[in-house]
Amino acid sequence: MAVKQVLVYPDSRLKEICAPIVSFDEAAEQLLQDLVDTMVDAGHSVGIAAPQIGALRRAAVVDVSKSKLGKKQENHGLLQMVNPEIIEKEGSQVVREGCMSVPEYTGNVTRSESIVVQFLDQNQQRQIIRTEGFEAIAIQHELDHLDGFLFLDRVSSLKTDLFRRKQK
Amino acid sequence: MQHFALTIIGRDRPGIVSQVTEILFQGGFNIADSSSSILGGQFSMILIISNPKIATQEEFSDAFKPLEENNLSVFIRTLKPGGEIRPEQEGDLCMISVYGADKPGIVFQVAKELGDRNINITDLNTKLVGDKQNPVYVMMLEAMLPVDTEIEVVENWMEALKQRLQVDISVRSLVVMEL
Ligand SMILES: [Zn+2]
Repeated sequence: MAVKQVLVYPDSRLKEICAPIVSFDEAAEQLLQDLVDTMVDAGHSVGIAAPQIGALRRAAVVDVSKSKLGKKQENHGLLQMVNPEIIEKEGSQVVREGCMSVPEYTGNVTRSESIVVQFLDQNQQRQIIRTEGFEAIAIQHELDHLDGFLFLDRVSSLKTDLFRRKQK
Repeated sequence: MQHFALTIIGRDRPGIVSQVTEILFQGGFNIADSSSSILGGQFSMILIISNPKIATQEEFSDAFKPLEENNLSVFIRTLKPGGEIRPEQEGDLCMISVYGADKPGIVFQVAKELGDRNINITDLNTKLVGDKQNPVYVMMLEAMLPVDTEIEVVENWMEALKQRLQVDISVRSLVVMEL
């Protein structure tokens, strides 16, 4: 059990592209455990990515089943993902996101409605899952962290955009 | 530190933000919060500012005179202590869209329905669109529902209002995900 400190922007590690995990060794197992412990300790959090605890490796965990809105939807419970990759995406939805690494700010972000993601799980088994709604949003947010993207890079609408009209 | 609300408004043109923020920067001001937009042909800025060297409005003296000379209106409000801090609000956010043929009182009727029930409007935009023959009024608002108010209840109020005002109204919950 190791709860790590969650890095907060402008820590430059949050803007790095993380390296794939080539050998699934003890360190990788430990990293997944630290991610789970830190996510649980953060209480409100439904996911966390390795760079948020300072590990520049491609791993993230997501669990929407404990959140008020997430548990109303179908979900996969705790997902521990090594080298995750989104291989299909469909539709789009707007959601107001916040991030533990960017406290006290939220923004409207457009995400795919449903995704297919493949990864190695904690037992080194290849998983391919299809998911939508809340869980799909959480996965997209966490996977962005692995490429150095914060939701601030994805904010897609100022409310006034609704009123922008075509030039005549 | 003493905070002030600064409001600036004037005919839109390129360079307003630059001129305003240059004055603030040169004068040693901090911008804590700001929002700017075009309304009609007017560019409007609202900023919460502070300056370690300034405690009262009188000390601004002529700082913003160059703006007034450029046909911008400047208004300064001195905030009460803590007035710069947004209060914590508990509850779920919802978005309400209202649109329909233009008629008097749309904004008021919707706002009254919410205000009477102690629902806080946190954001509001209205716009008259369409053409001269068929003006359409569009209103988008964001509101914070008190913890004990379910979104279905709001939908019911809005349904009644929709019949009464003969406009279209939709209510959606705005999902906020902390990740
Ligand atoms: Zn995040």
